[in-house]
Amino acid sequence: MKMKSIINKITLSIIFTSLICVISTAQDKSEVKSKRETAIEMSYNKKADKSKIAVALVTAKNEAGKFIPANNVQVNFYAKHNNDEQLIKSANTNNKGEANILLPKDLPLNDSMYFNIIAKIENNNQFENAQEQMHFKEANLSFSLDSKDTNRMVIAKVTEMSKDGKEIPVKGVELKFYVCRLFGTMPASEDNNITTDDKGEASFAYPKNIPGSTEGVITLVAKIENNEKFGSIENKVAEPWGTVLAIEKEPFPRALWEPTAPFPLVITISSLFGGVWLVYFFLFYQLKKIKEETKIKTVKN
Amino acid sequence: MANQKYNLKEEIEQVREDCLRPTRKWGRSTQIWIGSLLMVMAWGLYCYIHQLRNGLGVTAMRNYVSWGLYISTFVFFIGISHSGTLVSAILRITKQEWRRPITRSAELLTFVSLLFGGIMPIIDLGRPDRIANLVIFGRVQSPLLWDVISILTYFTGSTVFLFLPMIPDMALCRDRLKVCETKFDKFRKWLYTKMALGWQGTKTQWHRLELTMTIMTIVIIPVAVSVHTVVSYIFAMTLRPGWNSTVFGPYFVAGALYSGSAGVILGMVAFRKLYSLEKYITPRHFDLMGRIVLALTMIYAYLNLNEYWIPAYKMATAEGHLLNDLFSGSYSIAFWTCQFGTVLIPIIVLAIPAGRKLIPITITCIIIVLGAWVKRYLIVVPTLLHPFMPIQEVPGSWSTYFPNYVEFSVTAACLAGIFLVITLFAKMFPMMAVWEVEEGIQIEYDKQAAIELREQRETEEAKNILGNAGTANEPIIQQA
Repeated sequence: MKMKSIINKITLSIIFTSLICVISTAQDKSEVKSKRETAIEMSYNKKADKSKIAVALVTAKNEAGKFIPANNVQVNFYAKHNNDEQLIKSANTNNKGEANILLPKDLPLNDSMYFNIIAKIENNNQFENAQEQMHFKEANLSFSLDSKDTNRMVIAKVTEMSKDGKEIPVKGVELKFYVCRLFGTMPASEDNNITTDDKGEASFAYPKNIPGSTEGVITLVAKIENNEKFGSIENKVAEPWGTVLAIEKEPFPRALWEPTAPFPLVITISSLFGGVWLVYFFLFYQLKKIKEETKIKTVKN
Repeated sequence: MANQKYNLKEEIEQVREDCLRPTRKWGRSTQIWIGSLLMVMAWGLYCYIHQLRNGLGVTAMRNYVSWGLYISTFVFFIGISHSGTLVSAILRITKQEWRRPITRSAELLTFVSLLFGGIMPIIDLGRPDRIANLVIFGRVQSPLLWDVISILTYFTGSTVFLFLPMIPDMALCRDRLKVCETKFDKFRKWLYTKMALGWQGTKTQWHRLELTMTIMTIVIIPVAVSVHTVVSYIFAMTLRPGWNSTVFGPYFVAGALYSGSAGVILGMVAFRKLYSLEKYITPRHFDLMGRIVLALTMIYAYLNLNEYWIPAYKMATAEGHLLNDLFSGSYSIAFWTCQFGTVLIPIIVLAIPAGRKLIPITITCIIIVLGAWVKRYLIVVPTLLHPFMPIQEVPGSWSTYFPNYVEFSVTAACLAGIFLVITLFAKMFPMMAVWEVEEGIQIEYDKQAAIELREQRETEEAKNILGNAGTANEPIIQQA
């Protein structure tokens, strides 16, 4: 009997263990199956305030087999130098699938003065591991404005850093010029592609008829966009070169739909509907009186 | 006179019995009718939830036609709601005695069509939870805000207008329902008691009721006119071909009165047949209502002519495209059917006395009501498909519109809702204002009695004169 019970116990434990194994394997398989194929695209932006931002765009395959932006995925950013990878920072993607980090000022540079950044998705439950790297050279974009002549000239200069810390002009870089508007930027000229010369300079004649603020101030933007060597760099300068914006005192004269309701309209509508509702309240009062009369009569009786 | 008093009492008792009888019976046919209405409403609710979950993309509406069947139905229901104002208020204010048996059904139609008409724009919203924003962040200069306020004001007024003449009837129902065996009877007793406001028919109560009713009768007419004018402003205040019109206000009001009064006639036909009210709603009522509908149809036809003739004379670019589409394009069949079928033919039929008899007037009114609905659709949809900026480079489905099953189902559910509320109302409350009908009978008897009394006095006076003349002549005869 004892032997039988031991055998039974062993059999049960084997069945139980094998069940657990099957379930865990199935879970592993389902986990493997549920992990989505992922891809990363990287870009680099240097802003007007000299801040450097690395952006990783994460896309993942959906059920239909299309790569769509993946939200809330942790991306680790590393700085690579001589085969060493040093973690800079981690960031989660937003609903556009973008994870952004601010790069440190003292990024390690290689002999060619390039910095190397790697973005990785690692050990994620839902997304497959993925990585992408980018390497860019640091450059500066500076502005100078010349308004001595009748023509107003905008001159932008692109320089890169040499090993000994000197700034060397860069030739053949394509620049674009814009003017800041309320909800974005507007190209400042129709021929918007201007390339730097031997001195690293590019210039264009600023049009005179662009409206500025109430003081005539406009903000000019020069951009290097998605350059293979330097990434995206921009610089801004505010100057009173625009036409003065005169705000009309009465932009919608005599229009009933103007932003602030005309007083006669408010009075008319309020008095019309107010009058009707006053009558209603009088009627409700009369109904209340009808009800109260019954109570008084009952009490008297 | 004693015999007459006896007849009066008997007749009043008969009126009460005829009015209250339908409230006691909930037959199998009523149950089947209510069941079918609930089924239609349930399917409509399912479709609406589907629309809420998946957005307005499940309907046939797209970027250009964002006001489709829902808003057409909204305008139609608001139009039907003018029935109560016309039949009840205007006839009451002009002291038309024949109005008495039909006022309640007209007022009820107003209340119900406003209730469901007001829901339609909310159904048309992709995010109905944001409806409160219209009031919270509303701009006084927006016609949409005017519309919300005026519909709310009219709905409140119509509810009060329906309720006021019901107070004495509720007291009658309360007093008649003495034995409450079932829970439903107890509920009815409680409801009647609450709604009667403790009515005991004292002189002061009657005085107050008459005062409130007179005020309400006067106030509800301009409110009703303002409502449909404001509804027309939603269209007319936008710069679009077909809507940029100065006659839209009166055009909408006339259209509403014309379709609303046709709706009242259909209600009269239904209640007369279902509740055996032939004794009260007589051929004379149909004849007189037919005359009213005839007059309103002619006014509507005149405004219709103005609405299309003037722009058609000019054929300005964008307006011309719209009118071409209406006159000879994809909407021409519906347009000309509406013009001839629901305006010209009713004028011809109703102008003939035989056309105002029960069957022809019923058919004519069905045509008018359906035509009014189609007309609202023709006002809303073709204009949206003919904007000033031509429709270019958009998916094919954006440049055409015909409602799909979701819109038809939700609209059918609202219509079923109207029928359901009317049915439940008719099964709970008398469909004629009992005291008003009684008052009418009393007035008739008083008139009759006054005539008899006058005739009697005249006879007596004549006898006296003849008698006096006989005695005065005697001395002369003697002298002779």
